[in-house]
Amino acid sequence: MRSVLRAFRDEVLGALRDPGALLVLVGAISLYAFFYPTPYRREVLKEVPVAVVDLDQSLLSRQLVRMADAHELIRVSQRAGSLAEAEALVLDGEAGGVLAISDGFERSVKRGTPATVGVFADATYFLVYRQVLTGLAEAVGTFSAGVEIRRLQALGMPEAKARAFRDPLPLVTRPLFNPAEGYATYVVPGVLILILQQTLLIGIGLRGAADLGALGSGPLLARSAASVAGRSLAFVLLYAVHAVFYFGIVARAFGFPVRGGGLAAAALVLPFLLATSFLGLALSVLFARREMAIQALLFTSLPAIFLAGFSWPPEAMPAWLRVVSQAIPSTSAIPALLRVNQAGATLSQVRSEIAVLWGLAVAFFVLAVLAQAARARRAGRASAAEAFAEERERLPPPSEAPLALEELP
Amino acid sequence: MAALGGSPGVVRAARREAERLVSSRYALVLLVLLPLAGLSLVTAIFWNRLPSDLPVAVVDADRSVLSRRLVRMVDATKSMRVTGPFASPAEAFDEVLSARAYGVLTIPAHLERDVKRGAAPSVALHYNALTMIPGAILKRDMKATVGTLSAGIEIQARKALGETPDVAALRFEPVRSLRGALFNPGLDYFGFLGPALIPTLLSIFVLVGAVHSLGIELRDGTAGEWLEAGGSATRAVAGTLFPQTLHFTALGLLAVAVPFRLLDTPLRGSPALVALATLLFVLACQAMGLLIVALAANLRLASSAAAFYGGPAFAFTGVTFPTFGMPLAAKVWGALLPLTHYLELLLSQATRGAPPSTALGPLAALSAFVLFVPPVALWRMRSLMRDPSYWGRT
Repeated sequence: MRSVLRAFRDEVLGALRDPGALLVLVGAISLYAFFYPTPYRREVLKEVPVAVVDLDQSLLSRQLVRMADAHELIRVSQRAGSLAEAEALVLDGEAGGVLAISDGFERSVKRGTPATVGVFADATYFLVYRQVLTGLAEAVGTFSAGVEIRRLQALGMPEAKARAFRDPLPLVTRPLFNPAEGYATYVVPGVLILILQQTLLIGIGLRGAADLGALGSGPLLARSAASVAGRSLAFVLLYAVHAVFYFGIVARAFGFPVRGGGLAAAALVLPFLLATSFLGLALSVLFARREMAIQALLFTSLPAIFLAGFSWPPEAMPAWLRVVSQAIPSTSAIPALLRVNQAGATLSQVRSEIAVLWGLAVAFFVLAVLAQAARARRAGRASAAEAFAEERERLPPPSEAPLALEELP
Repeated sequence: MAALGGSPGVVRAARREAERLVSSRYALVLLVLLPLAGLSLVTAIFWNRLPSDLPVAVVDADRSVLSRRLVRMVDATKSMRVTGPFASPAEAFDEVLSARAYGVLTIPAHLERDVKRGAAPSVALHYNALTMIPGAILKRDMKATVGTLSAGIEIQARKALGETPDVAALRFEPVRSLRGALFNPGLDYFGFLGPALIPTLLSIFVLVGAVHSLGIELRDGTAGEWLEAGGSATRAVAGTLFPQTLHFTALGLLAVAVPFRLLDTPLRGSPALVALATLLFVLACQAMGLLIVALAANLRLASSAAAFYGGPAFAFTGVTFPTFGMPLAAKVWGALLPLTHYLELLLSQATRGAPPSTALGPLAALSAFVLFVPPVALWRMRSLMRDPSYWGRT
């Protein structure tokens, strides 16, 4: 236990004297929290420009165009003389979609035969596609309902009855947990959790290997275990503060829905941070030079965010990948913490993720202890005497030395 | 840089760098293994391209012929799968909170009776809007499914009023929209995200590779030899970056071509233009790497700065949330990333098959990085390479 506390203290003091690591472990946390969400500040993409091809030029076609323009998701930005001309506007990025009304539109409506209007959206960018198609389809739907209700009224049906007649089984749709369906609300809370994981992994890599010699001269595995436990304690405590900052302050500052119970969140955050710290310590033995941690781990953020399944459903991933991705703490932590923090899920509703995270914590602890011990043994073999002398030199001032001696088993 | 191509200094520096890269196991990991692993991973994630069988929890309080028919229709769609039935809404919402369903379909009691009476009872879909793609798919396909059933009931009612089936079929929706997706007809998510994510990963590796190769000369204190090999700072830097320019341009073209073949996603547009843009993109990322090393003057700080610059870049490119919806600060930051311009060109060429004229803007922007960033960076790099007090810092 003493050596655990010793490792903890050494880590805290060492990190405080390490500006490079502090930049990642502390600085990046607040920098990213306010920098990353800037593109999404407006939350909902509205007024996407749409080109109109109105070959009918009638009273009714102009009414339909006005209804499309009035829809909040889109605006009519240009008029084109032909479909080809409209498509060119989309190719130039000037319009996100096309509303095409063919010649004879009004005549068809008046004659009572179905009139078809073309509704095309640029599927190169999926948010543009979605907003344009939703906006145009809803505008056309409302227009069509109006025409049909007027016809039924002409047959003597009262308006309310006509409305029920034309849609006898209506569907009401309601978004859960993100009432405005804001993009930031959907993407930022998940990314914040990923930032915790990535900065912790990189920060631990920057801190480098443990000095097992400073923990006395007991069995190597025991010293390695004490070092892993003590150092992780330092990281977990620091990141618990970060988690409170992210989930408590940043989430409120951006106006994300906060429904979560603290208990369920804490029950997830603890094994998540433990698993991530142990993984970081296990990986750190691979980095011969400190900057390698940044270079080798930087690219992992992008796959990790998609593997966490909150933007791309796990159902759509190959089965082997779903299994393998469970080894990354964020794969369980992100969806579970989103459900707890944003949707108000209870402890029992995230118990499978809690179990996976504890499983990872245990597995990565063992891995980290073995990896650190193997590394120390290799370094020791290389030049046992030299290393010993160096380690003695690195010992803290004499007043603290007895502590190390007392730890002898 | 073309003017330097034949100069012996550049060749010496390039040979020196190539030898270093070939003999370093770490360079093999950083420049070859990790990029290939990352690119394969992204391709694997979207391998199935369209989500199918997304679970929907159903609460059927009616249990009539009509309600069962609706449930069967939902289950028969490709995108949705019914779970339940659940006795109460609370049980169904528990499924959503436990991540066993993406939404809840609630069918009220007396649905069939009320439909027959013409009271238009509504069914409700509550969908999880924290998982955007599944939520959007549920909303879209549930609307289509319930809409089909509703239209069928209306046609029956019209027939009951004495319309012939043909007339009823003509009258039930006076204005119909013919919906179409321009340029990505399958609405395939690999088509949406693959062409964007692959260059994003590439940009990270190019940046890290440039920072590593330039910064290591300062860290290891070899900048003197390096400068000597090149003959001038410009030639030394150009020569050092050259092997990776070739490597990453080839890898970039491979990364754009292979997954598209494998996933059968059409690549339209001009291959020559995409190749030219890929080369400029690699050079532009290297130029930014050079600038970062010159400003940081230390490999580890430069690596941290590269992480900050390259790590969150994807959010600022406008691929997910379009540029025109962003606040000015985010637009400006996005414009300072070569990735933004390359993706604009690649998506417009590869996905839309746009005419070459639309590529001029992004090509000019990428060229601006290549032409204007290195002179600024070299101005400071020159003194770093000459002053040993900058060497060996970690």
